[in-house]
Amino acid sequence: MKNSRPVLGLLCGAALIFLSGCGKKEAVETVSSTQTADEAQAFYDAHPEFFHTKTMADIPADLKWDNGNDLPDLGSPDATKGGTVNYWVQDFPRTLRIVGPDSNGSFRPWILDNNVMSYASRHPNVTGLTEDGFHYYPGLATEWALDRPNKTVYIRLNPKARWSDGEPITTDDVFFNFFFYRSSYIKAPWYNNFYSTKYLGVTRFDDHTFALHFPELRPDIYSLSLGTVPVPAHFYSEFGDDFPERYQWRFAPTTGPYTVSEKDIDKGRSITLRRNQDWWAKDNKFWRNLYNPDRIRLVVIRDNAKAFEAFRKGDIDFFDMRLAEDWYDKLPDDADEIAKGYIQKIKFYNDIPRPTYGLWMNESRPLVDNRDIRAGIQYALNWDLVITKFSRGDWGRMNTSADGYGDFTHPTLKARTFSIDKALDRFARAGFNKRGPDGILVNDKGERLSVQLTTGYEHYKDVLTILQEEAIKAGLDIRIEILDRTASWKKVQEKKHDIAFVAFNVGPELFPRYWETNHSANAYDKAFLEDGSVNPDRKVKVQTNNLQIFADHEFDQIIDAYDRSDDLEEMKKMAYKMEELLYEDASFAPGFVIPFMRHGAWNWLKVPADGNVKIATSFEEYRMFWVDQDLKKATKEARKTGDSFEPAVRVFDQYKLD
Amino acid sequence: MALNPLTIRKLKRFRSIKRGYYSFVLLMLLIVVSLFGEMFVNNRPLMVSYEGKWHFPTYGANLTGETFDLDYTYEADYRELREKFQNEDNGNWMLMPPVPFDPNENNPYEGVFKPAPPSWMGGPSGHWLGTDTTGRDIFARLFYGFRIAIFFSLAFMALTYLIGITVGCLMGYYGGIFDLVVQRLIEVWSNIPFLYIVIILFSVIPSTFSIPARIGMLLIVMVLFSWTSMTYYMRTATYREKARDYTAAAVVLGAGPIRIIFNHILPNTISTVVTFMPFTIVSAITAITALDFLGFGLPPPTPSMGELLKQGTQTLTTAPWIVSSAFAALVFILILVTFIGEAVREAFDPKKFTTYQ
Repeated sequence: MKNSRPVLGLLCGAALIFLSGCGKKEAVETVSSTQTADEAQAFYDAHPEFFHTKTMADIPADLKWDNGNDLPDLGSPDATKGGTVNYWVQDFPRTLRIVGPDSNGSFRPWILDNNVMSYASRHPNVTGLTEDGFHYYPGLATEWALDRPNKTVYIRLNPKARWSDGEPITTDDVFFNFFFYRSSYIKAPWYNNFYSTKYLGVTRFDDHTFALHFPELRPDIYSLSLGTVPVPAHFYSEFGDDFPERYQWRFAPTTGPYTVSEKDIDKGRSITLRRNQDWWAKDNKFWRNLYNPDRIRLVVIRDNAKAFEAFRKGDIDFFDMRLAEDWYDKLPDDADEIAKGYIQKIKFYNDIPRPTYGLWMNESRPLVDNRDIRAGIQYALNWDLVITKFSRGDWGRMNTSADGYGDFTHPTLKARTFSIDKALDRFARAGFNKRGPDGILVNDKGERLSVQLTTGYEHYKDVLTILQEEAIKAGLDIRIEILDRTASWKKVQEKKHDIAFVAFNVGPELFPRYWETNHSANAYDKAFLEDGSVNPDRKVKVQTNNLQIFADHEFDQIIDAYDRSDDLEEMKKMAYKMEELLYEDASFAPGFVIPFMRHGAWNWLKVPADGNVKIATSFEEYRMFWVDQDLKKATKEARKTGDSFEPAVRVFDQYKLD
Repeated sequence: MALNPLTIRKLKRFRSIKRGYYSFVLLMLLIVVSLFGEMFVNNRPLMVSYEGKWHFPTYGANLTGETFDLDYTYEADYRELREKFQNEDNGNWMLMPPVPFDPNENNPYEGVFKPAPPSWMGGPSGHWLGTDTTGRDIFARLFYGFRIAIFFSLAFMALTYLIGITVGCLMGYYGGIFDLVVQRLIEVWSNIPFLYIVIILFSVIPSTFSIPARIGMLLIVMVLFSWTSMTYYMRTATYREKARDYTAAAVVLGAGPIRIIFNHILPNTISTVVTFMPFTIVSAITAITALDFLGFGLPPPTPSMGELLKQGTQTLTTAPWIVSSAFAALVFILILVTFIGEAVREAFDPKKFTTYQ
């Protein structure tokens, strides 16, 4: 196998050359650098309603500029730079692009989300609200201002800001951003749509000052403006229709501290991120104590259990131990490595919107189209047993589809708890009133109460079998279908599921989104007629996130008002109302929340005194850790001699909610 | 059925090879026991005497809790009920099977679902081989896993041989263009990597079907990609037999091709087939175990050795009894079948009776 790869590559290459010789000659020619610049300029000229150039004098004088500099610093002042952190990824990245085919993989956060510096970032510890939304601290920008009447955000770039290749970051890159993401070359329709509809325009005042204009003044307007990143115009000089192939393995200059160079890529085996020693912001407040290791080496390990063993050996430095089995059985507090203080166990309670682990019932399918059956199913699901016996009491029960949004989460609504009597009662109302010979309910027509549950989460298989066994007591037969992740997601997106067990991973946003999962526009093509009555010819709409095919005319009105509103209080009331309606509808059965992150880390990997930030979703997300290189040597020595250190089982519960 | 004296001699010879013969007896015993498995490994009692009435819950409809004056309408929890009977001591009793666990029920250990060590290693009583990661009895899962695997393999063998022998004999008998074309088709067909096809098919197959139906589909897919190897042997064997005088005599007597193939040629080539049988079973068991191990085999929560092996590799350090039980069971069954296979091969070896001059 090892030797056959290059041969295969050669053959494919030969085939490509042969094919390209047949007709697509133009594609092989290089696009010259001026060509892309000209094309971008032509695009700006063609869209004068979007791209504006004005002078500094045109900036309103009465703007209230904000710079976030009074917010508390991040990370630990004790952090030292240097050393290597080893970690693992399950698959080798299929591309180094951050957009386009195959780019949305598990590797992207390492070079995009957790690496780049945006104009300004939401402060992860100060999570209260200002009148303009969340608190932001400066990144590429030095200051910013919100012009409410004109729905515009003004941003002033830091003149010192540089791309990782040393080029200055200017408003050229801001303009190019829109050309880039709206171009069909990137083969990413979601971005095309997003950058065409969410923004109304961009104005350049000078090399470092610009403004973004929006169609609506949403409370989260800053995440769309300050939270974005420009695109390096000088790098994409060969931008063309072959963009996905041409830029497949080129690492684009980044605003962040880590870069990937060709020598750091060992295809199929490992990839190393290297810290830019001259990063322009390395001494800036908020950034100086983060991004400490010189290298972050990601090794490909295909199997979770194997990665755990690699961690235990010391080949990788930290490991996600969210599974009870890992935390309690494989590495208990009295395990040798823990007792001797080689490995520290860190449990950190975070406070974020929770991924929606639950059962999504498809209202367009038989049986689950009946509200009584849906409610009955909810009563027949013994989540409490899963939580107490499977997670060993660590997880919590999810109550609504929007848990973890602080004030936006419904304060009193609770999910239905396991009750055989209530389940039987609801099933009986739907006509399922006697038990068949196997204990499963049947109706008068002899139909069994049997539903199919589809999932792509192989690691939660046991959760589902526990639910399945318990549901039999309530006369419900659940047929579990575990598919490959991609296949399962495909099935769910085609709305071919009865019930799906999936979770949407929600970002730490200000308020929950309802349009994606609950608006009729995502359930049917033209769900309702003009007068609000059901359109008899409506067809299920596929490839949307409305997995319940939930369509309710009244609900649509609330969502529309909610999405237009700029009044947080009003939005909260609407969010509560929507959750109550969703509870009544019973098409989403809330499952469980995992209120913490749990990791094992070798003792040389140091974390700040408060563990992590309030809204952290993973150990590595904010890169607060650093390597104590002396301790690393000492620990390696101690493992040979048997010496021990102070054991460290650390629980950070300052953000724990009750 | 009157057996050919030659066959009788072969069977006698098989009996005389002790290792293979006893393996055969043991395996048959296991199969028969597993057929009535519900009476040996089950969480339903064989018999309950309650208030003077007798119940036999093993087969047939569920008896609800209400049958025994309990306050729930789902199936009675018999192990709990037995304790109640014992505590009350008013003449009610029940007879539980030797292993009183269902392969799908989760039994908490120390209050949570985690692997419990075997009873003789200090684990909870009754779990002879311990429990798996969600507290299901390993012995019960192995037992039912064996039943599914062995019947799956027998069905697999029957079907592959049916197709393989028919096609192979037809090729050998007709020869010429037919042989040439079918051979090429088979070559193409057998080059499709079977495992990948199964994996792909199984990740997209809609499972609106019940578990038995899904097992059936897996069987069909496996058969479709496995019948080809048999054709090579049958083709050459038929070629050889076709040239013999008795075939010519049958043709002269006016027998049709089907009659000649199945009544005359097949009995004379059967020894080839017989010697392959045990090894086909071995490969079928291995294949189904491998597929389960990879997560593409039988749908959960069907008990299977492959699924246990997979769990075992993930809990090597914390619950070594899972992998060792599954591994030992698999090796034991495969060795039994291999011993049988060796004995059959030796017994049916024509060299024993032929001398070349």
